[in-house]
Amino acid sequence: MYLALREIRFAKARYTLIAAIMLLISFLVLFVTGLAQGLAYDNAASIQNMPATHFVLEQGSDHRFTRSQISGEKLEQTRSVVGESNAEPLGVQMTSIVLSGDIQKIDVALLAVNPKGWLAPDLTMGTTEKQETGGVVVDEKLAEHGVRLGSILVDQASGTRWTVTGFVKNESFSHAPAVFLSKEEWMGLHLPSSAQSGPGSAEGQAAYNAVAVKATEGEVSKLQSAVPNTEIIKKADAVSAIPGYKEEQGSLLMMIAFLFVISAFVLAVFFYVITIQKTSQFGILKAIGTRTSYLAGSVTLQVLLLSVFSLAVSIFLVKVLEMALPGTMPFQLGADMLALTCAAFIAMSLAGSLFSVWKVARIEALDAIGRAGV
Amino acid sequence: MNNRLEMHDITRTFADGGFQRTILDRLNLKVAEGELVAVMGPSGSGKSTFLSIAGALLEPTRGDVLIDGKSILGQDKQALSELRLRKMGFIFQNANLIPYLKVEEQLMLVAKLAGSSKEVCAQRADELLQRMGLTHRKNAYPHKLSGGERQRVAIARALMNDPAVLFADEPTASLDASRGLEVVAMIAKQVKEQRKSAVMVTHDDRVLPHCDRVFYLDKGKLTEHPV
Repeated sequence: MYLALREIRFAKARYTLIAAIMLLISFLVLFVTGLAQGLAYDNAASIQNMPATHFVLEQGSDHRFTRSQISGEKLEQTRSVVGESNAEPLGVQMTSIVLSGDIQKIDVALLAVNPKGWLAPDLTMGTTEKQETGGVVVDEKLAEHGVRLGSILVDQASGTRWTVTGFVKNESFSHAPAVFLSKEEWMGLHLPSSAQSGPGSAEGQAAYNAVAVKATEGEVSKLQSAVPNTEIIKKADAVSAIPGYKEEQGSLLMMIAFLFVISAFVLAVFFYVITIQKTSQFGILKAIGTRTSYLAGSVTLQVLLLSVFSLAVSIFLVKVLEMALPGTMPFQLGADMLALTCAAFIAMSLAGSLFSVWKVARIEALDAIGRAGV
Repeated sequence: MNNRLEMHDITRTFADGGFQRTILDRLNLKVAEGELVAVMGPSGSGKSTFLSIAGALLEPTRGDVLIDGKSILGQDKQALSELRLRKMGFIFQNANLIPYLKVEEQLMLVAKLAGSSKEVCAQRADELLQRMGLTHRKNAYPHKLSGGERQRVAIARALMNDPAVLFADEPTASLDASRGLEVVAMIAKQVKEQRKSAVMVTHDDRVLPHCDRVFYLDKGKLTEHPV
């Protein structure tokens, strides 16, 4: 403690330089982490927000909602296992819309949920009431395109017209803002085409993309046998199967991992060089009776101080930046993720100091005698 | 008279290209309380090996070293480190102070390592600095001190934990003649006053008048010469 602090006090310039490098790296780590989290959330917010534990998808759909078709019959089978209130149908479709009177197309994700069910998001503005008759609830991001309460949206694929009755916050799928519509509207979009493709009752053909369930592990294994030709996947699997999600997160994660390794290396090299430079000094200290553990502790403490100091400053900078960023920039750094990242950063720094500690342990006190000194 | 340092039949051999080279050959030395002993000899005669063994930095092949009547051999590294901290004071060739500690802190460090309380350290450091005539320099860094001042700080540091024995390794090597004399006179004075035993390895014969006895190390043995 005594030595570590006084050395930093004496060689301010040297330690400031290394702290500056650490600061830049840790800032970048935090920023990229926040960006990765933000993008992940932006990509899959609507799925993440759903209080479901699992999803029932059609077999062979490769965990993708948009490839899966689930009939009303399967929905009933699912409900018979997990209970009426624990299974909700879900429709997902990517489409583009135009604001009536405008020509600009906007990509959106249509999400069909029961407006009274537990999949329905909380409104920030407006009402869900007229949803059976052409009303939709949309994500706030659409407001930037001029969408207001009462605006008319026209679906480009079907020509269907919807009236915006409410807004929700942070609802998106595959980076596209979400448009929530009722079962009836969803049927209206899909029934005509399915009626052409085959016979059967309307209820039987009422195809959704998935069934969201709240289920225990025991119920999940029962579901697998009770509902044939389906796959039951966890929410996290559904999220990572969203197109582009894994690739996006993978490359960001790689950057973060590299930054961690770089910071460990920078510290390791810096402290190793300093330690080598101080070999004779450590020899003297050992000769006059300083324990190796004290010296090793001293080096470790310096590393710890530098990384904690750099982290503290970069947390501050990231928080300032977060406030300055525009709302459209997907950036999210929760306390949990922040704590985890900081802990990992400190752990990597300490790993970087091990090399120097090992070097300190190997220095012989004997070298102090009979040497002209440096 | 009380011998604070005794070396009995110290032998040290090194394996040197298949040969057993004997550096120290059944060497004996007793240093009494208040006595400063000089050890001289040509380079390569084993002065450093001798001092390393006496200073618990190197194990002898055979023989025994007693500090205050207790053998220091056969202990682990940590115990030896503790022993050097509390029972021995070292003064090196170039003072070898810690560059980033102020004069006072150089002394505080060794006292802190030995676990003394802050008040005790501060008082002892003040007293030693005063005795060395360094009180006005107590907040200076080593690079601001002259060679003589640095060596005086080293003496104070060596005395800080009130050791039994002082070891000085060519303390005058980097000083001019008058500064060298001054430093050795100071060591001799402290040794007398504080009843230490001291061994100084040197090849500067101008400082010998300050020593109580003078030995020459030759062919692994010590022979006493009249001062």
